[in-house]
Amino acid sequence: MTETVEPAVLPDSEQEQQSKTRSELEPGYLVICWDDPVNLMDYVTHVFQVVFGWAKQKAEFHMLEVHNQGKSVLTRESMERAEHYVHQLQSYSLQATMERDA
Amino acid sequence: MKLVRREGEAFVFDLGKREERLLIEVLKLYPLVPTTHHRVSQTADPGRGAEFQKLLEETLAERQRQNKQQLLAMLKDPQRFKQTAGGGCRLTLTPSQIEWLLQVVNDIRVGSWLVLGQPDEKKGKPIELNNENARYYAAMEFCGYLQLALLDAFERQN
Repeated sequence: MTETVEPAVLPDSEQEQQSKTRSELEPGYLVICWDDPVNLMDYVTHVFQVVFGWAKQKAEFHMLEVHNQGKSVLTRESMERAEHYVHQLQSYSLQATMERDA
Repeated sequence: MKLVRREGEAFVFDLGKREERLLIEVLKLYPLVPTTHHRVSQTADPGRGAEFQKLLEETLAERQRQNKQQLLAMLKDPQRFKQTAGGGCRLTLTPSQIEWLLQVVNDIRVGSWLVLGQPDEKKGKPIELNNENARYYAAMEFCGYLQLALLDAFERQN
């Protein structure tokens, strides 16, 4: 296996690219599901089970949090994964967004 | 719509004559949720947020296009809806087809709710029915009924 030696000083553009990638990879994004009066409780539970692979009990816990408190933080992820989950949840017509964790 | 038996992996549902007609008519409404309805974030900065939003809308539009194609194929498939002696039909669906149909049916349910002006009993915003939107109320309720029947089938599987 050959070893590569990193240069001590990176060119500006490369540094920028690296820091951007690092920030995108950090689990700094919350995936939130918001309450609405149309999605059925059993359906929401089912979607959480399918999208996140959760057991029914955990999925029901988050569904009830959405129902009773208006929203539930479902997971904290990197930007790319948060985006993936939001797309998945919205393809099931749930009200989901990704928010930067302050 | 009633689950009557399993055939290997597949689920076989019994539908009455009126249920079958209603199902076909309701499925023809797909897609009903505009891709612009969903927001990717409530707080994202305008520059990056717009980029994410555009990507989300493109992804949802492509999925709706694929779903519509699949739906048209399903409605034309004589093997999918087998007529019964009583005038209704037997609908056979695999677990992945049920999963897909749940998404389609929920799009019609949520889209109907949007057409009805997003009524919300908890916030004192009742449904205001008229000749124009009454069919969407029927579609929303029927889709809810279908979802519960499909989810019940999954429940029995486990």
